[in-house]
Amino acid sequence: MRFVDEFRDAELGQALATEILATVEPGRHYKVMEVCGGHTHSIYKYGIDDLLPANVELVHGPGCPVCVIPMGRVDDGIALAHQPGVIFTCFGDMMRIPGSEGSLLDAKAEGADVRMVYSPLDALRIAKQNPDRDVVFFAIGFETTAPSTALTLKRAKAEGVENFFCMSSHVTIVPPLRALLDSPDLRLDGFIGPGHVSTVVGARPFEFIPADYGKPVVVAGFEPLDVLQAIQMILVQLAEGRCEVENQYKRVVPYDGNLRALEVLAEVFVLRPHFEWRGLGFISQSALALSEAYADFDAERRWSVPGVRVADPKACQCGEVLKGVIKPFECKVFGSACTPERPIGTCMVSSEGACAAYYNYGRFAREREVV
Amino acid sequence: MSAVELPQAGGSCLAEEGCITCGDTALPMRVLDVDGESRLALCADEAGATEEVAIDLVGPLSPGDAVLVHARVALVRLELEALR
Repeated sequence: MRFVDEFRDAELGQALATEILATVEPGRHYKVMEVCGGHTHSIYKYGIDDLLPANVELVHGPGCPVCVIPMGRVDDGIALAHQPGVIFTCFGDMMRIPGSEGSLLDAKAEGADVRMVYSPLDALRIAKQNPDRDVVFFAIGFETTAPSTALTLKRAKAEGVENFFCMSSHVTIVPPLRALLDSPDLRLDGFIGPGHVSTVVGARPFEFIPADYGKPVVVAGFEPLDVLQAIQMILVQLAEGRCEVENQYKRVVPYDGNLRALEVLAEVFVLRPHFEWRGLGFISQSALALSEAYADFDAERRWSVPGVRVADPKACQCGEVLKGVIKPFECKVFGSACTPERPIGTCMVSSEGACAAYYNYGRFAREREVV
Repeated sequence: MSAVELPQAGGSCLAEEGCITCGDTALPMRVLDVDGESRLALCADEAGATEEVAIDLVGPLSPGDAVLVHARVALVRLELEALR
């Protein structure tokens, strides 16, 4: 299968960079937010920002699923992991996110049975293999990942599995974008829309951004030419005085999303009245809880969790990084007290976190003069 | 970084490329075999590594089709013509 090489062609990349240079208005400063952490990772992995004119600034958004999990939620997970007889399962990066008194990896070292899984289906398999134990899956992620949790719960119900539980911390992409757009801290000119979230929700949910806020959105893929082309499309819209939702990732993203996946989500989940996001605070209707039909699988109904709100460490500025207010290297502990090996903040844990991307690709200081 | 090794396509969550699931990464995979009853398909990634994938969310599939897979779930059937 050749899905990748065509979208990493260096000559085409240079040609797009030349077009971008010809499109920008000298003296105007452009701030474009890439919503998804996967885009942040691609930008630094492929050096995309080095191909951009100095007056095009990329601002990193809140679309890294582990980065937005608040410390109190990690503590809730650790409390469940320490319940007698529980096998606690979660994705890899989630194990390293610091709570107020350590991470799930630390809990594992203390004797809790914490296991990394690659899919909620793996957690269900563990439950079926261990009928005398209770298996909890710590579900995180945006609309890309929520359908796999929903499908797993449907399968568990259909198969009558009674020892499988889910602690849902799934979040939705539109409410935090609206919160960012309402924030006075940030002046943005356009958005690179999330590619894989949009395979599920489609591009249509982003129409409020041009309609209500007058900013262009381009849903984009994750290869370097995808990201460059999306930036060029945003700049062309701005140059022509247009603002609309465009789909650069048509080869993968249907404009209306995956209707079957949306139906499954609607069956298994309901919107929480509000949910705390790291750095963004409480945002109403921004996260998913299990519906009444799946109440028997809800870990938070089976066990009580502390549910305590924990303030971030004072030195950590993940909140400002997640809002795009500061660059990672402007954080006081970036690269010194906070590294991928010993992270203080969530943004340094996942490679899709802005701090980890800057750290891993050597962006320790402002290298381009921003006009 | 981690001693944990996973055998399936996509590799370890903590590999150099980061946690595939946490990063909202999705992999294009080729369908090798379909079990219609369990709604599972054996799929292979570009490097030939295989995994079982739930296909409930996409239309009927046949061997040779391509799908975009996230956390062992096919999210969309890829139109190969559109990829070229």
